[in-house]
Order: sequence, then C-alpha cells, then structure tokens
Amino acid sequence: MTIKQKLCLLAGASLIAFSTSAFAESTVRVTIAEYSKGTGPYFEEAARAFEAANPDTKIQIEVVPWDNLQQKLTTDISAGANADLSIIGTRWLLDYVKESIVAPLDEHITPDFKARFIDTFLSPSVMNGKVYGLPIAASARAMYYNKDIFAKAGIDTPPATWADFKTAAEKIKQLGGETYGFGLQGKEIETDVYFYYGMWSNGGEIVKDGKSGLDSQAAIDTAKLYKSFIDGGLTQPGVTSYSREDVQNLFKQGKVATVITAPFLSNQIKAEAPNLKYGVAPIPAGPTGDKGTYGVTDSIVLFENSKNKEAAWKFLDFLFTTEQRTKFDKVEGFLPVNAEESRDPYFADNADLKVFTSLLPNARFAPVIPGWEDIAQTTSNAIQKIYLGEGEPEATLKEAAAKINETLK
Amino acid sequence: MQRATAPYILILPSFLLAAAIILWPLKEIVSLSLHDVNRFGMLRDFIGLEHFRVLFADPDFIAATWRTLVWTAAVVLGTLIVSVPIALILNEDFYGRGFARILIMLPWAISLTMTAIVWRWALNGESGMLNSALRGLGLINTNIQWLAEASTAFPMQILIGILVSVPFTVTIFLGGLSSVPDDLYEAAATEGAGSWDQFRLITLPLLRPFINIAFVLNTIYVFNSFPIIWATTQGGPANSTDILVTYLYKVGFRIGRLGEAAAVSLIMFAILLVFTIIYVRLAMREAKA
Repeated sequence: MTIKQKLCLLAGASLIAFSTSAFAESTVRVTIAEYSKGTGPYFEEAARAFEAANPDTKIQIEVVPWDNLQQKLTTDISAGANADLSIIGTRWLLDYVKESIVAPLDEHITPDFKARFIDTFLSPSVMNGKVYGLPIAASARAMYYNKDIFAKAGIDTPPATWADFKTAAEKIKQLGGETYGFGLQGKEIETDVYFYYGMWSNGGEIVKDGKSGLDSQAAIDTAKLYKSFIDGGLTQPGVTSYSREDVQNLFKQGKVATVITAPFLSNQIKAEAPNLKYGVAPIPAGPTGDKGTYGVTDSIVLFENSKNKEAAWKFLDFLFTTEQRTKFDKVEGFLPVNAEESRDPYFADNADLKVFTSLLPNARFAPVIPGWEDIAQTTSNAIQKIYLGEGEPEATLKEAAAKINETLK
Repeated sequence: MQRATAPYILILPSFLLAAAIILWPLKEIVSLSLHDVNRFGMLRDFIGLEHFRVLFADPDFIAATWRTLVWTAAVVLGTLIVSVPIALILNEDFYGRGFARILIMLPWAISLTMTAIVWRWALNGESGMLNSALRGLGLINTNIQWLAEASTAFPMQILIGILVSVPFTVTIFLGGLSSVPDDLYEAAATEGAGSWDQFRLITLPLLRPFINIAFVLNTIYVFNSFPIIWATTQGGPANSTDILVTYLYKVGFRIGRLGEAAAVSLIMFAILLVFTIIYVRLAMREAKA
C-alpha cells in the first residue's frame, strides 16, 4: 500500500467519522407501553421510517409492559434517567404536570396540527389551558354479548336498561349449565371502572364538587344491584378472582354471555375465537335513562428535561400523521383519534367500532384530580369487600368515600 | 504494629465495596423515610417520623405485618418438615435415584415468576387445571374459586411457597447427609439401634447445622418473596393476602408515596435484622453448650 493510498483511506475514514458526528447527532429515546404483541414491532417500524426521512436523528424505542410502566417511570425520573418521550396514562398526567416533569407542547402546535385531532380525545390532555400530551391511544367501553346464548334464552335484543339486563341474566341462568349472564370483573386494574359503569347509569359521578361520589345514593344502589347479580348466581362465581383479561377469556369461551370492555376485544375474538357470534351494544341505562361509558386516552408526553425537544417533536409530528395513526390503530384495535383517519373505510364501516364511536358523546373521562391510582385502589378494595359479602354496601362505600376525600384535599 | 494493621488493610477493599452497595442505599432510604417526598423521589421538607406514624395507624399495614409473619413461619417450617424426609430418601441408594433427584430439583430451574403464573392459571376457577383434576377424580362437584378470597388463596400461596423452597433446602440437606460417616450407622446397628433411633440420635444432631443454615436463609428469602403473591392475587382481594413486600410495592409504585414505602422497607429490614441476630445468638449458644 502506498502512502497515497493510506492517506486516501485515512481521509475516507475521517470523512465517515465526521459525517456520523454531523448527521446522527441526536438520539431520541421513547418509552412505549406494550398494548399487545404488535406494539413493539409497530413502533420499531415507525422509528426506522422516520430515521430514513431524518438521517440526523436516531430513535431508540424502549418497550415496557403496562404493569411496569409506572414503576419504570418513577425510578427513571427520580434518577434523572428518563427517556425524551413516554406514553403515560392521561389519568396520571396531573401528577406529572404539578411537578413540572412534562413540558407543554403549545409552542410546537400549529392550528393545522391541532385540526388533525378529534377534539374529544385531545381535550383530556389539556391542563391549565396548555396541551401536555397527545392522545396516542384511545378507547371507550361497550357491552359485548354472545348472540348464541341470548338466542337460546329467547332474548332478541341486547338489554337497554339494567332491569332488562337482570331479567335477561335470569333467563340465561334458567338454561342451566355453567353459563352466566353477567361477566363481572372483580380483580386488579379497572375493578373500580367496572363498578363505575353501573354507577354512571344510576346518575352518579366519581368526583362531584371536589368530593368523592362513592357515598352517593347512585353508588350505593349500584353496589346493591351488582351484589344482587352475584347473590342470584347471575355472574360467574368468585368474581374477585377474575381480572379483566380473565373475564374476556370467559366470554371467548362462551362461559359468560356479556362483558363490558374496550374495542380491542374484537381483534382478539377474530384471532382466538373466530366462530363466536357476538354483538356490541351500549352499556345498559339506569332507571332515569342515564348512561355512560368510560373514555380512556393514553398520552405521549415530552419530558421537561429532554435535551432533544426539537427532534422529539418532529417524531411526534410524524407519529400523528394520518398514515401512521391508521397503521397503529389497526394493529391495536383502538379508536381513531385523527379526524381524517376516522373516515378510513376500515373504521367507518366497522360495525363494532361504530357502536363505540356512537357512545363518545356520553363518555366520561377520568376526572382531572391528583392521586388517581390511590383513589382507584381505595375504590377497588371497598368494592371487593362488598362483592365478597365482607362489608355492607352503604357503610363500606361511605368509609371509602371519606378516605378518598382525604386524598382529594 | 505491622501485624495489627495488615488485616485491616487487606479487608479494606471489600469493606469499601460492601459499604458502597449496602450502606449508601441505606442512608438514602433513611433520608427518604424522614422527608416529605413527591412521587418522583424529590425530597421536600424534613418531617421526622411522620411516615412511620401514618403507617402504624394504617390497619392494612398492621394486617400485612402479621400476615408476613404467618407466611414466613408457615413456608419455612413447612419446607423444613417436607425437605428432611425427601433428602433422606434421595440419600438412599435406589434404582432411578438420579431421575428422582432431577424431578425434585426441577422447579428450581424455572423462574419463580413463571412458576407463580402457571399456578395462577392452574388455580383459575372456571378453566383451571386444579379444579378439572379434582372434578375428574370426583372429589368436588362445583368449581372452587381458589383465588377469590383469602381463606382459600392464602393457603394455596403458602403451598406454592413450600413447593419452590424445597429444592434449595433438599440440596443443603443432601450435602449435610453426605458428610455423615456410614460407620456411625453400622456401629449403631450392631448396638441394636432401630432406624428411628438412628435418625433421632445420629442423623438429626449431625444435620443440625445444616438445618440451621437452611432455616436462616429460607427465612430471609421467604420474608422478602414477592412473585408468588403478586402473580396470583396482587395481595387482593381488598388487601387480604398482602404481605409487607406487596404492600410496599403498592405504596411505592402504584400510589407513589415513596416516603412511606421507604419507611416500610426500613421496618422490614429491622424485623429481619432482629430476627437474624436472635437466631444466630441462640444457635451459637447451643453450639457452645
């Protein structure tokens, strides 16, 4: 090798070194909650597509199971080792905003960008007039019912009210065998929410005028109603050992005739129990016609201590293009948050999703209060006691409400 | 002079290492437990023993403490009682002993969390294997909802705890048994000692130090064991199967009261420390006597 060749090589090498330092100068780390086994691959693919268009930015995706997300964020943030962007439950957002952990996004948001969203889904992430997160995932709840079981019991339509529902469940019980009318969740995450479905129908609220609504007449009536389902053998036995996934599995196996859950169950049924004949209906209404569904969004937030806010924003902008949103919501079975996306035939002509979107005007989002998880746990504990018959509904709920009022102060 | 300083210099590096990984976090935890802390671990005002006062006023914490003691005692004693005969059998020479040893040790090769999740499925009320096995055998007519309430869930958790602690304990005992010389038994047999006397007068006393070590180590592991209870019931329903570690996890990472969580972990540390000191004292006095 001549000296000239060596020099050339050296120059080439330094050029490569220089170019990498010039182009790949920022790395954006993104913490992603794993909704399903498709979540990780989707975000990896999106990151690669973004990198191809923006060679000066590297996207590093970190996928965490939902159950560990809070723990990971808490430890990362307290050590100052958090990512630039992260998915969080919008119901936790206030705690983050109060401590100035997350950055407002308003300086980046153009009217055009804002116009991409369906307003219902963006508004939960708005606090003190500022946008602190973008709705990465959205869902609502409705009642899935098993058409075969309903037909066998001689019921033609899904129940419109809780009274109808109870009659229907009794008819299903009379079929004999181990099939139950009401799949009732009594364990782990969202045990409280499963109770709120009935409470909203009875006209109750989680928080009213800064006080817990758990000691309201609506809540007490709901507790008695659910307990009468349990005592009458109209739910699966041992409700406190069934988490949301467990009840969904019972539904797929045809062991419970109904389950109240999110749109993603449709995707699961398609994959795991394609022969199941089911329909989707609104959650039954209460005696005065009140009804409600739970609207949930998860937000993707930008951390205040991020050193790559510009690059991170660009990636957010990319994730919320119609094309990317459509891909993601198809993978996960979530509701479209993007107005243009919702007109895509996949969503617009989907019978199941239509029911969910029709419920949105009545959707209750988690109230903007500090300590949501604390309140959720107190509520779940009280409800479990009632389900188990260890606590009288009224006294147990009043005690829980007093505890929640302490948290709300 | 030289002789007196040399040992200290020699142990200094390992002391520093131990200090860095034990004493420094301990100091951090003490400071967390005495301050008002936000959910992201940032210290605010010094509040003294307020977190401890709140804890001792919480009936769930008191209940979890008692349950932890029951859990530890039941799993550790149960493990010891089950492991001694298993070790004795596996120490005998019989056809297929190697296979039997592998079977007993196998649970050890699987992560605790996996075992616990498999049990969660097995204990499922409607589609669990345990119920279908019991129904198949004609022992029950209706499904038992094992995890629905503490009265059935907690005993099952203790049984799982025993099952996963057995391999480790048996290994220790097998090591102990192999150090007992055979001629002791031969001599005892010629003197007319039956097998029960041989076990009582030779095996048990010689196995004593091994039982002690298995007792102390198991106590520490079981007291701090998280996966079994978390994977099966998450301490529920209504906190009725919570032990201190699961309570700690909920307070710290679900609810985000890191100060109280730090206080719980200090209390757990103190309980284990006191227990270990008492036990080591007792064991040493016995050894001298």
